[in-house]
Amino acid sequence: MKKEKLHNTPHYINPYLGGVLLGLLVIITVYITGRGLGASGAIKSAVVTTADAIYPEGARENPYYSRFISDGHSPMYNWLVFESLGIFFGGLLSGIIFGRVKKFRVEHSPKITSKTRLIVALLGGILFGIGSQFGRGCSSGAALSGSATFSLGGVIVMLLLFGTGYAIAWMFKKLWI
Amino acid sequence: MKEELFVSGRDIPNIDPYLHIWHWQIPLYLYLGGLAAGILFFAAYYVIKGKEKQMQTTVKWATIIAPIALVIGLGALFWDLKHKLYFWQLYTTIRFTSPMSWGAWTLMLITPMSIVWVASYMKEMIPGWDWKWDILNKFEAWVIKYRVPFAWVMMVLSVILGVYTGILLSAFNARPLWNSSILGPLFLTSGLSTGLATIIWLSKDKNERKVLTRIDLILVIVELFLIIHLFMGFLAGSAVKTEAASLFLGGEFTVTFWVFVVILGLAFPIVLEAFELRGYHVPKWLPPFLILFGGLVFRFVMVEAGQITRFLY
Repeated sequence: MKKEKLHNTPHYINPYLGGVLLGLLVIITVYITGRGLGASGAIKSAVVTTADAIYPEGARENPYYSRFISDGHSPMYNWLVFESLGIFFGGLLSGIIFGRVKKFRVEHSPKITSKTRLIVALLGGILFGIGSQFGRGCSSGAALSGSATFSLGGVIVMLLLFGTGYAIAWMFKKLWI
Repeated sequence: MKEELFVSGRDIPNIDPYLHIWHWQIPLYLYLGGLAAGILFFAAYYVIKGKEKQMQTTVKWATIIAPIALVIGLGALFWDLKHKLYFWQLYTTIRFTSPMSWGAWTLMLITPMSIVWVASYMKEMIPGWDWKWDILNKFEAWVIKYRVPFAWVMMVLSVILGVYTGILLSAFNARPLWNSSILGPLFLTSGLSTGLATIIWLSKDKNERKVLTRIDLILVIVELFLIIHLFMGFLAGSAVKTEAASLFLGGEFTVTFWVFVVILGLAFPIVLEAFELRGYHVPKWLPPFLILFGGLVFRFVMVEAGQITRFLY
């Protein structure tokens, strides 16, 4: 009975330990694949592929999209896409083992509705996507893998990303807590 | 100067050097055939064991899928035929050395049997169901009376059907990737496992799910074992066989096969099922969905890759 209960109460990893593990993950990734981690790249591949499928002429004329389109090689055939699949399934497995997977639901603050939460999350995601393309990478690609190579750009992204977040969190805290 | 004229017999469009005649219809059919074989096998098995009451979904509800899958699969096969109106000629002969003859006759028997099977449970599934005509009611009573022998015949036929979906490919001695006797048991195991996954997805009974998940776990492990042996056989074989295997070991099918079939379609679902059996909360649709998806990709990859492997250079 005790074990059963343990399975069904959510567990979260200590954030400091999580950070150390994430750092070690970068080392392992570089060792195995010869390059760093990333997440926004997979989304970019998906966006480019979708654009190419729906409106090929437009996608091929677009100066940004066209950089990732070539005949005979799908932008989805990219290590970041498979890495993101792995993140999804690995996260799911972790959620199952540590009791965080339950019925399908939207997690949000009791002060806002699910709808608000979803809309705001989508907006945040869009902003993050645009920002990551200007910053040449997101928190995984630029900040984590970048700063691991002592790249100045990576450090700047890291400071700006979390610094800005810290500075303006107060204004948006109602959307979260 | 003496000139010699060489005439090569090797310019055969769509057959040599690469086979290019089987498209989506064939793998879809192989998939649906295996799936139906799996569902019917377990339905018959639990009737023979006398566990109809404990395994309601397996014996009754899930079997509705089998005739539908068979009819769609056969429709795909028919679509693939070049001379559609001559299909009946398969039934003018019985050839024991031809897998296609085995398959044609097995399907001829098992498709109507699966429909009769579902029909014989209609009254139990839908209260108040009536067949209207007396002759149908009499036929139903006859089927119900001889249900166990009926189940025996169906179980044997379902195994033949499951094996045949693999043997159909392995009988092609001109295509090294297919020309392996492991393909028969491999396709059978995969078919049984996808059939079970369908039943598990449909079942709401906790005990039934548990029993079936345990069997599925073993089947998937057997399937992984057979896949390893398939590749061991290729790598220990002649140059054409190692070349065929290299399509999956660094070649163009490597990612599709290992990521979608082996990791997501077999390894990950058994990890999830193992956790589910130990009492963890796993989304119920996820392991069956992954197994069904992996099985489908497996057949597409095998049919697609097999066609570009060859013996002659």
